[in-house]
Amino acid sequence: MSSALCPEIPTPGFSFENCKRNATLAAKGFPTPKATKTGTTIVGIIYKDGVILGADTRATEDTTVSDKNCQKIHYLAPNMYCCGAGTAADTEMTTQMISSQLELHRLYTGRVVPVCTANQMLKQYLFRYQGHIGAALVLGGVDSSGPHLFSIYPHGSTDKLPYTTMGSGSLAAMAVFESRWVPNMDEEAGKKLVRDAIAAGIFNDLGSGSNVDLCVIRKDKVDYLRTYDEANKKGIRQASYKYPKGTTAIFPNKTQEYKIEVTEETVTPYTMDTSS
Amino acid sequence: MSILSYNGGAMVAMKGDQCVAIATDKRFGIQAQTISLDFKKVFDMGPHLFVGLPGLATDTQTVMEKLRFRKNLYELKENRKMSPKVFSSMVSNMLYEKRFGPFFVEPIIAGLEPKTFEPYVCNMDLIGCPNEPEDFVVGGTASAQLYGMCEALWVPKLKPDELFETISQALINAFDRDAISGWGATVYIIEKDKVTVRELKTRMD
Amino acid sequence: MATERYSFSLTTFSPSGKLVQIEYALAAVAAGAPSVGIKASNGVVIATENKHKSILYDEHSVHKVEMITKHIGMVYSGMGPDYRLLVKQARKMAQQYFIVYKEPIPTIQLVQRVAAVMQEYTQSGGVRPFGVSLLICGWDNDRPYLFQCDPSGAYFAWKSTAMGKNFINGKTFLEKRYNEELELDDAVHTAILTLKESFEGQMSADNIEVGICDSNGFKRLDPSHVKDYLANIS
Repeated sequence: MSSALCPEIPTPGFSFENCKRNATLAAKGFPTPKATKTGTTIVGIIYKDGVILGADTRATEDTTVSDKNCQKIHYLAPNMYCCGAGTAADTEMTTQMISSQLELHRLYTGRVVPVCTANQMLKQYLFRYQGHIGAALVLGGVDSSGPHLFSIYPHGSTDKLPYTTMGSGSLAAMAVFESRWVPNMDEEAGKKLVRDAIAAGIFNDLGSGSNVDLCVIRKDKVDYLRTYDEANKKGIRQASYKYPKGTTAIFPNKTQEYKIEVTEETVTPYTMDTSS
Repeated sequence: MSILSYNGGAMVAMKGDQCVAIATDKRFGIQAQTISLDFKKVFDMGPHLFVGLPGLATDTQTVMEKLRFRKNLYELKENRKMSPKVFSSMVSNMLYEKRFGPFFVEPIIAGLEPKTFEPYVCNMDLIGCPNEPEDFVVGGTASAQLYGMCEALWVPKLKPDELFETISQALINAFDRDAISGWGATVYIIEKDKVTVRELKTRMD
Repeated sequence: MATERYSFSLTTFSPSGKLVQIEYALAAVAAGAPSVGIKASNGVVIATENKHKSILYDEHSVHKVEMITKHIGMVYSGMGPDYRLLVKQARKMAQQYFIVYKEPIPTIQLVQRVAAVMQEYTQSGGVRPFGVSLLICGWDNDRPYLFQCDPSGAYFAWKSTAMGKNFINGKTFLEKRYNEELELDDAVHTAILTLKESFEGQMSADNIEVGICDSNGFKRLDPSHVKDYLANIS
């Protein structure tokens, strides 16, 4: 009973109206282009006081680096964050949607949402789409029962582990964890280990690169350490490549200029009629 | 062949000092056959907000109309201008809605934030994954060449006239190495109090 | 659809041009527990009575003042179950807005959307209007907002208002007490005093609820906090 009188509420869910056209194009030799992937090394560990998540910051379109410093550690709830690998749009939108559902759940229940709830919501969502939503996630958080770390695969299967890696650089990162992870690490050692695992991905996997992002989640405090380590510093440019003014040939009579009136208005309150 | 390079086209947007620029070629072709030299691919969505839609020409126009519709409705409903950030998040949402049957466009958004007049640029893949870098964004069939040109030419804090030379040279030299884009170019320089639109003299082959 | 053809709207115009169902709904509101809202210079407060019929009742487990998003809160006079449905809808609409625009919903937008839902229930088949009036408070654009939403779908912007039982007395009281320079702390006092005007029995932190909204967002005051305010006025 919503739509007729309240049309501004958009119809939920995916739209498939272009699918037939796109299938026809594909049959004629124009397959649907590939979307941005995150290549990616993402990791997480449980340490003494909580969870540490880590990620690189490279996004790729085929072999082109399309974003040199993207954020792969997504906010889910005040006590939960989630690293995403796979199709960039899918990880971004899936985490955003689950984050919104978790917020509603938090308001409804009036308590800190358990990490296993987020895990269950993510896996059910991904399973419903049978792997077509290409999101591989590392979910970490702390709730009333302590720190928890999950890895979630695009088809909806999940693992609950003390340390985990995902994405194309997962093998390189796991090599670091397998040799050095121990239970009850302190925070500094934990951060160093996660940094080294991501660095292993950055340097040994071509789908991963740029910087190291960390997120330390404890019972009462979260540190989101964006660009914790810059693994590849850019050199300083030696010469100026600035073109002198007037280099570019233009059609002067075709130049148009639109003035914009910038009005900075201050609104003064007026007395309101409160008689009704 | 990719459907994104069926009609050809190159586009770039750059941040400057209290200004932002977006530049595009003007060719519309069907694969190697050129049809038009005055094809609009960059659209104004407000005094300080421009969107470029490189990709399949039919979707360029369809998506532009859908975006304009949604943006107008927002502005009427809320009685205020749409900021570039809000606009790109709306674009991203609209494209992701068609995750399993996308429009073949990779939008570029350039504008100035209201009040602060901070420059803003953003590009997206065809299913709406946003990318908001500190420097520049590129799109279209000459994107590889544009990445190279921009990495070499762009420096922070360019003034409007310097920004014009930089973005124009980046675009021209990039699409001269791309057979299916070029044939004229338009550059929009967006400042706090004015927008300047210049037509570039380019190779016509 | 076929069934809808035979389910008539209960809200049908009377020959004199009135929608009596809506007036009955307003009567349900006027019979409900009183609630007040006051806009201060640096925030806004909403408060309501939450009296329990029996001492066996477990207070502080069901709330009347609810958060919608970080910067918007809500309270009602009228029927509790109807209110909960609106709270759920409002929260959902706020989240929907945030997902699309990556910007928190402006209070006025939320009010408009909630009011649209309420209006829809005055014109649809097989339903009845909501038996609640809402007070929605919010903070955006660096200023406070206070709105009232009625069962008809009409909404009003107030500097200060009262609803529910004895609302006329409440409003008269507020008209005398209100001034533009009021600080949030004083507004909380005034709100509690307004409730006290018509309060039957002893007022305590267990039978009123207060919510405040300022630049830090919305929060429901916990009973200990309310107790401090109560101590100050007596």
